[in-house]
Amino acid sequence: MFRYITRRIFQMIPTVFGVIVITFILFNIVGGSPAAMTLGKNISPKALEEFDEQRGFNKPLLLGRWSATRAYEDATFARNAGSWRQVEGVTYTAPQRREPGHITLAPGKDYALPLAFKLKPQATYQWVLEYRLRSGAASFTTVDNCQAVLTNRGYTNLLWRPFERTVPTSQPDDVTGAKPSLAAVVGFERQIRFLTTNSAWQTVKIPFTAGADPATFKMTVHTEGGALEICTLKLRRQNANWFDTQFVFYLSQIARFDFGKSNFTNQRVSQMLKDGIGPSLCLTVPIFLVELVVAISIALLCAFLRNTFVDRLIVVIAVVLMSVNYLVWIIFGQYVLGYRWGWFPLWGFESWTFLLLPVLIGVVSGLGENVRFYRTIMLDEMYRDYVRTAFAKGVSRPGVLFKHVLKNGMIPISTNVVIAIPFLYTGSLLLESFFGIPGLGNMGINAVNYSDVDVIRAIVLIGSILYVVANLMTDLCYALFDPRVRLG
Amino acid sequence: MNHSINKSSSLWGDAWRQLRRDRIAVASFWIIVVYLAMALYGEGVFWYFHWKDMAPPYQQTNLREEYLAPSVFRHPFAMIPRADPGVVGSPAVEQRDQPAAKSVATRFRAGLRALAHHPLGTDNLGRDVFQRTVQGARIAFQVGIITACIAIPIGVILGCLAGYFGGKTDDFIVWLYSTFSSIPGLLFILAIAMVVGKGLLGVYLGIGLTTWVNLCRLIRGEVMKHKTRTYVQAAHVLGLGPLRIMFRHILPNVFHIVIITFSLRFPAAISTEVFMSFLGIGVQGEPSWGIMISNARLRLWQGVWWEMTFVTAAIFFIVLAFNLLGDALRDALDPRLRTSER
Repeated sequence: MFRYITRRIFQMIPTVFGVIVITFILFNIVGGSPAAMTLGKNISPKALEEFDEQRGFNKPLLLGRWSATRAYEDATFARNAGSWRQVEGVTYTAPQRREPGHITLAPGKDYALPLAFKLKPQATYQWVLEYRLRSGAASFTTVDNCQAVLTNRGYTNLLWRPFERTVPTSQPDDVTGAKPSLAAVVGFERQIRFLTTNSAWQTVKIPFTAGADPATFKMTVHTEGGALEICTLKLRRQNANWFDTQFVFYLSQIARFDFGKSNFTNQRVSQMLKDGIGPSLCLTVPIFLVELVVAISIALLCAFLRNTFVDRLIVVIAVVLMSVNYLVWIIFGQYVLGYRWGWFPLWGFESWTFLLLPVLIGVVSGLGENVRFYRTIMLDEMYRDYVRTAFAKGVSRPGVLFKHVLKNGMIPISTNVVIAIPFLYTGSLLLESFFGIPGLGNMGINAVNYSDVDVIRAIVLIGSILYVVANLMTDLCYALFDPRVRLG
Repeated sequence: MNHSINKSSSLWGDAWRQLRRDRIAVASFWIIVVYLAMALYGEGVFWYFHWKDMAPPYQQTNLREEYLAPSVFRHPFAMIPRADPGVVGSPAVEQRDQPAAKSVATRFRAGLRALAHHPLGTDNLGRDVFQRTVQGARIAFQVGIITACIAIPIGVILGCLAGYFGGKTDDFIVWLYSTFSSIPGLLFILAIAMVVGKGLLGVYLGIGLTTWVNLCRLIRGEVMKHKTRTYVQAAHVLGLGPLRIMFRHILPNVFHIVIITFSLRFPAAISTEVFMSFLGIGVQGEPSWGIMISNARLRLWQGVWWEMTFVTAAIFFIVLAFNLLGDALRDALDPRLRTSER
C-alpha cells in the first residue's frame, strides 16, 4: 500500500509540472505583459517598466541574456517613422517588395536617441541596429560631445571599431590625453562605434555600460558624407545570467507560495485567496451536499420505479432542467423569489439567510444533470447478477436497493464526488457575483474583467493542483474500498 | 429467411432505423434544422448589410419605438374582424379614419402587417428583438461549429496516435490531456479568452482548446481496443502503414464517438458562449444571446419581460433539442458511453 501511494505521488509530479508549463505558456508567452492593458494607455513607460520589473515580465521568456526595455521602444518602421517622425532631416520610406520600411538620416547631422527614463546604473545595455550605409560615414555614440572626436579622427576606416575611452567632462575634446583612472571619479564612459559602408542591410550590436549616474547620458547618431538608413533600432538590457528568466522567476514564485500582487486591488494574491476561500466554501459546500443527497435520492427512486411513468417523467424533467441556461436560473430566481415575492434577501453576505437563495439556485441548476448521471449508475447496477440473486433469494425491493445497489453504486459515486471536490474551491463564478458574495468566484470574474493576470493565474494553478490531489485521493479510495482493484 | 439475409444491418443502418423510430429524436432533429435555417438566414442578413455597408435591421435604433411589447400584446385583437373597428387596440391608423370602407380581407392584411411589425417587441433602443434573436442563433451556431472544428481534429488525432502507438507517445498524450483536464474548465476558458483578447476568437479558442480532452480519452480507449482486432491485424499483415490503418481502417469504426461527443458538446459550447458574452468578454458589437440577456436583465426589473423571455426560450429549445438528440444518438450508436461521459 505504501509503495502504491508513493508511486502515485510521484506520478503527480509531471501533471503538476504540466499545469505550471501550461499556465506559463498561456500567461507569459501568449499573453505577454499585461502592463499596458491594466495601467491604461496614457501611462509613462517608466511606470510600465516598474510594473514589469515587479512581475518579472521584463526578463527573457525561457533562456537568454538580453531583454527588452521600455526606455527605448523597439523601432521597426514597418508602418511609419514612429518617434522619428518629427525629427528634422529624417525621411521615411514605406516597406516595399524586398525592401523593409526604414528611415533615412540626412548626412552631416547629429540625431539624439531620447530615452524614456533613466537607465539602470552600472547595467550593461546594447543597441541592436540594422542599417545600411552606402557612402560616407556614421558613428554611434553613447555620450555627448562626440563631434570633436569624430572630426579629429576622420573617416578613413570603414570597418566599425570600438572606441572606448573614459574622460573627465571638463576636457571632452581631448581624447588622446585622457586617463582611464579619471573615469571612476567622474563616472562617465564613452563609446563610439563607426558603422561600415555596405550596400546591403547589416546588423551591429553596440554594447555599452550605463555609468553611475545615467541621467547625464546622452546618445546620438552622427552622419557624415552619406545618408544612413536604419530599418530596426532596438535597445536591450543584459541580465545577470542566462537563467534570469520569466520561467525561473515563475517557478521561484510558486516555490515560495508567492502569487504576486493584484494590480486591481493592490493586495497580495495569497491574502486575497485566504479571504475569499471562506465565503466560497460557505456557498459551494451546502450546494454540493444538498445536491448530492437530493440527486441520489431521486436516482434511487427512479431505480425503484424503473420503467414506470414516474421514472420517465423524472428523466424528462431532468433533461428540461439541464437545458435551462444557468444564467436564466439565477436571473429568474433573483427576480421572482427575491424581488417579486421577497422571500429571500437579494444581495450581500451578512448572515446565513443570504445564502439560502444562491444555494437553492445552485442546487436546482445542477440537479438535472446529476439525477441523470446517478440514475444511470443505479440502473447499471440494477441489471447485475447479484441483484437478480438477491431478488431470487426473496430480499425485498427496498432491501435490495439500499443494501446492495446503493453500496455497490458508491464506487462510481465516490469517484464522481471526490473529483468534484476541488471545484468547490473556485466557488461559483456567477452566483457569487450576482449575489455579492465576496468569494473566489467573484474575485475570478473581477480579475477577468480587469485582466488581473496574477489573480487568475493563482486561481487556475491552485485549482489544478487541488484537482490532481483529488485524483490521487480517488485512486486511494478505490484501492481502499474496492478489493477488485489490484495495487501494482 | 431470404428477406433477413438481404437486409444487412450495419451499425449506422441500425442506428438510423432506431433513430427514425424515436419520435423525440426526430422532433429534436427538426428543431435543430429550424435553428440552422435561422442561423443561415442571420448569416445572409449579416453579410448582405456588411456588403452594402449599411446598418443591419437588428442594429437600427429607433428611440420612438423603445420598449415595444410583442405585437400580439400590443394588438391583441388584430386578427379578429370586429363590427366596430376604431376602438382601442386598432392595428392601423387609416383603419380608424374610414372604418366602413374596410373589407374583411383588408382588415386581415392590416392585422397581419401590425403583427409582423416587431413581432417579439423591441429593446431599450428600439431594436427588434426577433432579428436580434436570429442573429444570436447565428453566433451560437458559429461558436458550436468552429469550436468543434478546433476540438475534434485535436482530440481525434491525438487519441488515435496515443491508442495506436502506445508507449512513449501514449505516455505523452495521456500526460497532456490529464494536465488539461486538471485545470478548472470555466476558469481556463476565461483565462484563454482574457489572454487572446475580447471577441469571438477568444471564445473559439477558449472552448475549442479545452473540450478536446474528453474526446481524446474516449477515442484512445476505443482505438486500443480495436488495435487487437483481426481486421487491424489483417491490414497490418497486408503491409499497410500505421497512418493508413489508423485513419482508414480504425477511425471509421470509432467515428460514432465523434458524432456523439459533438452533439453533446454543442449545447455546452452554446451555453459557454452565452456565459462569456454575458460577462462582456465574448462577442463584441453584435447581438448574441448572452449580450441580450445581460441587456434584458436590467430591464426585467422595470417589467420589460419579453426580451428576456424570448432569448431564454431560444436558448432553451436549441439546448434541449441537442441534449435529446445527443442522448438518442448515444443510445442508438453506443449505449456504453452513458457512464463514461464524465
